[in-house]
Amino acid sequence: MTIRFVFLQANTLRPYLTCIRNTLTAAMCLQNFPCQEVERHNKPEVEFKTSKELLLNPILICRNEAEKCLIESSINSLRISIKVKQADELENILAKKFLRFLSMRAESFQVLRRKPVQGYDISFLITNFHCEEMFKHKLIDFVVAFMEVWSIFTTPVSLIFLASRAGSRFKKSSTSCLVDFDCIEKNHSTAIFT
Amino acid sequence: MAAREVHHLAQCITCHAWNADMSMVAVCPNNNEVHIYKVSESPDTPWERVYVLEKHEQLVSGIDWAPKSNKIVTCSHDRNSYVWSLEGEEWQATLVILRLNRAATSVQWGPQENKFAVGSGAKTVCVCYYEEDNNWWVSKLIRKKHLSTVTSVSWHPNNVLLATTSTDSKCRIFSAFIKGVDARKDATTVFGDIKFGDELIQLDLACGWAFGAQWSPSGNSLAYVGHDSSIHFVTDVGPTPRARSLSLRHLPLRDVLFLSETRLVAGGFDCNPMLFGSEKTGDWEFISFLDEVKLPEEPKSDTLFAAAKGKFKWLGSESSEESTLTTTHHSCITMLRPRVPLSERSPDKAITLFSSSGLDGRVVIWDLNNVGDGLAGLRL
Repeated sequence: MTIRFVFLQANTLRPYLTCIRNTLTAAMCLQNFPCQEVERHNKPEVEFKTSKELLLNPILICRNEAEKCLIESSINSLRISIKVKQADELENILAKKFLRFLSMRAESFQVLRRKPVQGYDISFLITNFHCEEMFKHKLIDFVVAFMEVWSIFTTPVSLIFLASRAGSRFKKSSTSCLVDFDCIEKNHSTAIFT
Repeated sequence: MAAREVHHLAQCITCHAWNADMSMVAVCPNNNEVHIYKVSESPDTPWERVYVLEKHEQLVSGIDWAPKSNKIVTCSHDRNSYVWSLEGEEWQATLVILRLNRAATSVQWGPQENKFAVGSGAKTVCVCYYEEDNNWWVSKLIRKKHLSTVTSVSWHPNNVLLATTSTDSKCRIFSAFIKGVDARKDATTVFGDIKFGDELIQLDLACGWAFGAQWSPSGNSLAYVGHDSSIHFVTDVGPTPRARSLSLRHLPLRDVLFLSETRLVAGGFDCNPMLFGSEKTGDWEFISFLDEVKLPEEPKSDTLFAAAKGKFKWLGSESSEESTLTTTHHSCITMLRPRVPLSERSPDKAITLFSSSGLDGRVVIWDLNNVGDGLAGLRL
């Protein structure tokens, strides 16, 4: 049953991810650009927004109301902000915990932004220096794989949600279930990202 | 195959320049140094690094090597520029006071090598000339004409007109006539009598940042690219120019190079040089890509089961479409240079050898004499 569910999700997710992948390929045309406002500085223009002419129009890709992806681009940097599906309170808590776990380890991901853009769950900041160090297509693969993994990740969330409901039948508190989940989450994410 | 030699010199190359007889190449490996390599005879042996020029404090953004006087000019994000001349076995640097307060982005020697131009992030262009009395390079600024960073500068063959592109998406042509340096007759051009700093034409064809301005060998046409994946050709540059813009369906371009009056190559984020040409009518068209793209091999399916499995592979959740690289350059091409010795260049002979460098740290030499079948009928 579960496997089938994953397949189904992967297929409906595909057009959304393909759209994001193609948009990123076009948007990730970055180059070294020294700051024209401050002497001897070189900083991501998309963050500081000091010169209007160096920014491109942001692109919003929506799968539905709850799932969307904002791509803001500038001459030397690109910001990708993702909002992930949170069907109910429990998923909301789980998503928050997982994303907090990730953003606390932002350095090891290099392109992860420490704080998401307002209204989104997680943001990536890709600069021209990342494009110089890493292959552009691999960077795009990483972002897309991250979103794909998220969709798989939400499957255990639903499973645990079911389990927690079952648990409540056995008069277990839902908090203990969360603690259990915390260690699953750690194993899960380390397995995928490291 | 059009790519004749591939040399992986660094992790990332910002710019490169050849000397007059193409025996040496100066390369900036994405830091404050300039490395000079001696080119080996056979294509397979790696090039030997002979000099390291260390004077700049920040990233070197532009290099140009004057073929006749054998001087190298470099500019950097540290707001300075140096002119290097070979004295004995050593390269001696002369600091040029650019009077800039922002990073320098590009540099080019004038055709007569008595002047060079530097584009900068201060929205200005410096035109520098040598003053013998004081034994230094003096800089004159063209101010208040650009609305954003100047991305490239290019000299007209007459040594007076200067084309610039800028991130305010415009291409402009200026007069860089300097009294006392240029002969008085040079001041009379197709635009009439001109004086230093005059803005002669402003071209507003691109809808994105403009890059890579370049004059054709005769100076009759000018080409530049826009970040909206467009390339613009301006012919009969004068009071009544004609323009043609091509919008491409590929990723944006970064630099262009005229091979002859009717052929041009351009390189950019597609990592694959594009060839453009114009016929008798004068309309420029896209001809073809120069790199032979190697398609990834289909995995062999020996058994019926493997074949069936392959068919359903896309269904699996882990089958994220891993992209692969198929081009010679693995990242954006940032610079194109002719690779024909000065002595063999003539206005009526097309350039068939050129080099490209990119953010993948490779310098690739392209030979249009032995292009693939698809281009065999091509007449340069």
